[in-house]
Amino acid sequence: MGFFLIVLPVIAVLLFMLFKNSIIQHTISLLTSSLLIIIAVYLTTDVMVLGSAHHTALGGIFYIDALSIIVLDIVILIGFMASIYSVSYMETEIKHGKIDRGRLRLYYILMYAFMFTMILALTVKNMGIMWIAIEATTLASAFLVGFYNDKYSLEAAWKYVLICSVGIAIALLGIIFLHLSSIGVLENNQFLDWIALYNNAESLKSPIVKLAFIFILIGFGTKAGLAPMHTWLPDAHSQAPSPISALLSGVLLNSAMYGIIRTVAVVNRNLGSSIYTGRLLIALGILSILTAAIFILTQKDYKRLLAYSSIEHMGIIAVAMGVFTPLSVFGALLHMINHSLTKAMLFLASGNILQKYNTKQISEIKAILKLLPISGTVFLLGLFAIAGTPPFSVFASELSIMVSLFTAKKFVVGGALALLLAIIFAGIAVTLFKMFYGNNQEEELQPGETNKAGTIVIVVLFLVISISGLFIPDELKNLITQAQNIIIGA
Amino acid sequence: MSSFFDSLSILILLSSFILMANKMSKSYIKTFRFQSFLIALAAGIMGIKTITEEGRFDVLVVCLLIIILKVIWIPNILSKAYAKAEYKVEKDFILNIPILILVCCTLVVFTYFSLATIEGINDGMINVQVVNSVSVILIGLFFMISRRKAIGQIIGFLVIENGLFVTAMFSTQGMPFIVDIGIFVDMITAVMVLGIMVFKINEKFESINIDKLSNLKG
Repeated sequence: MGFFLIVLPVIAVLLFMLFKNSIIQHTISLLTSSLLIIIAVYLTTDVMVLGSAHHTALGGIFYIDALSIIVLDIVILIGFMASIYSVSYMETEIKHGKIDRGRLRLYYILMYAFMFTMILALTVKNMGIMWIAIEATTLASAFLVGFYNDKYSLEAAWKYVLICSVGIAIALLGIIFLHLSSIGVLENNQFLDWIALYNNAESLKSPIVKLAFIFILIGFGTKAGLAPMHTWLPDAHSQAPSPISALLSGVLLNSAMYGIIRTVAVVNRNLGSSIYTGRLLIALGILSILTAAIFILTQKDYKRLLAYSSIEHMGIIAVAMGVFTPLSVFGALLHMINHSLTKAMLFLASGNILQKYNTKQISEIKAILKLLPISGTVFLLGLFAIAGTPPFSVFASELSIMVSLFTAKKFVVGGALALLLAIIFAGIAVTLFKMFYGNNQEEELQPGETNKAGTIVIVVLFLVISISGLFIPDELKNLITQAQNIIIGA
Repeated sequence: MSSFFDSLSILILLSSFILMANKMSKSYIKTFRFQSFLIALAAGIMGIKTITEEGRFDVLVVCLLIIILKVIWIPNILSKAYAKAEYKVEKDFILNIPILILVCCTLVVFTYFSLATIEGINDGMINVQVVNSVSVILIGLFFMISRRKAIGQIIGFLVIENGLFVTAMFSTQGMPFIVDIGIFVDMITAVMVLGIMVFKINEKFESINIDKLSNLKG
C-alpha cells in the first residue's frame, strides 16, 4: 500500500503528459492528491499501531516510521491544499495573461514531480537515496520558481538552483564521510542504511562522524534555509506562484530539516551527548532568527516577509533540536507541523491578495479587509498566529520549546530567543498591519473573493491552527512522542 | 597500487589548478573534459581491481558512465549551449590569475592540516588521496565564486561533483551502487536544468554575465 505513495505521483506526471485539456488536468491533479491523502491516512494508522511500515520491494529501501510519517503527512496535506487552490489560481493567472494555457501542463507536471521527490526523500531509509531525492527536489522545483519567466523570477531560479545544488553537494561530502566512518562496522548491504547506522552508532569512528555532521548540517541547512546559507530562500519564495511558495515553505524546508534530524540522532548517539551538535545547531538557529528579525523589520515586500519568517521558524526548530531534551524535541516536531500549516495558509492567502492588487509591495496595498473580507481577515489573524500569539498553535509549540530551554538551564539562549521573537512580532506589526486599513485610491478594484475554493482551503487551515492551539488530539501526541523516542532513543 | 592512485589524485588536483588558470570559457570545458578523463582512468583501474579481487562489476559500470557522461556528453552539450549563448567576450574573473592560484595553494594546505588532525581517515600516515580530492571540491567552490559568467558557475559545480566522486572513490572504494547511479541521474538533470536556464537568462538579460542578476535584494 505504501508503495502507491511513490508510484501515484509518477502516474500523475505521465497522465499530465498525455492530456492537454485543462479541465482533465485539474481533475487528475485533484484526484491524485485526494488518493494520496487516503493512502497517507492508511499509512499513519499503520505506523501508529505497528511503529513502522516496511516494504520488501527494491531491496527493502522503503521504510516509514513515526518521524517520517509526521513530515510525510505535512507534505501530502499541504500538497492537497495547494492542488485545490491551484485550480482557480492558475485559471486566474491565465485570464490575466500572465501565463498561456499551454504552460498549465508544465506547472502540474513539475508540481507532481516535486511532490514525488519529497515523498521519496521521506520514505527511504538509505541516507544516500534520501540525499538523491532531496537534490532532486531542487531540480524539480527550479522551473516552478522561475515559472513566470521574467527577469526577477529567472534570477531567483538561478540563485535557487545554484546555491541549493552546491549546498546539497556539501551534504553529500558529509554522507561520504558518514559512510567512511561505518566501514568495518556495517555489512556491505547495510551501507548508509539509517537504521543500521543508528543501531551501531556507538561503534562508528567518532572523529569522522563529527566531520560528517558539519558537512551535513551545512548542506541540508542550506536547503532548510538556515542563515547564513539562506540567501536563495526569500527570492525563491517571493517569485514562485503562491501555491508553490506554500509548498516550498511548508514542506520543502521540513524535508531538509528531516535530513538534519536523522543525522543528529545518529551523531548524538555516537558521541554519547548532545553538546557537540547542540552548540552548532543553537548557533545556526539563533543566527537565523537574528537575520530574520533584522530583515523583517525593514521589509517592503509581503511575500519576502513571509519567507524571512520561514527562516525564523527553521531557526527555532534548529535551536530546539540543539537542546535535545525530550520536551524540546517534542516541541520541535510540533513546531514543524504548526509552522507548516500556518505558513502554507499565509502564502495561499497572500496569493489571493497578489491577484487582487497585482503588487507585492506593502506600501501599495490598503484596505485588504474591505476588498477581501474573508482571506484578508484570515491573513491578519494568521500573522498574529505566525508571530506566536495565543491561542494559535504556533504559540503552543514555541512555548514548549521556550520551557525546554529554561528547564535545560540555557538561560542566555532562552533570553535571546524571547527577545528576538518579540522583535519579530513588532516587525510584523509595524510593516504589515498598515495593509489592512485605509481606503484604496484605485476605483477599479472590486471587493469580493475571486478564488472561492481556495478561500475555503484557507479557512479550513485557519480553523485547524486555531483549534490545535487549544488542544492536541491524543493520537497526534502519541505519534510525536513515538517520533521523539526514535530520535532520542528510549 | 596505492602510489599509482596517489599520483593520479595529484594529477586530478593539478587539473583543477589548470582550470583555475584558464582564461576562456572554451578552455574551461576542455579542462573539465581532461579532469573527467583522469577520473574515469582512476575508476577504470579500481574497477579492474575490484573485479579480480572481489568479482564486483559496479565500479567498472560507473567508469563507463563517467566516460559517456562527463567526458563526452556534458562537455559537448555545454560547448553547444555556450556557442549559442555567447554574447560578447568580457573579462571573466574578478581577481587576477596568480592571486587565484595562490588562494588555491592555500586551500590545499588548509585541507592538509585540517584532515591531518582527524583520526580514522589516516592510518598512521596522512592520506594524500583524500586530501587531494577534498581540495578539488574546495577549488571547485572557489572557481564558482571567482567567475562572473554562468558557464563558469556550471563548470565549478561540475568540478565539485568530480571532487565528491573521487573523494568517495578514494576514501571508501565507492559508494553503494544504487547511490552512485542516483547521483549520476541527478547530475544529468542538473546540467540540463542549468543549461536551459542559461538560455533563458541570455534571452531576458541579453548576457550570461551573472553580475546582471542583482534585482532581488533585502
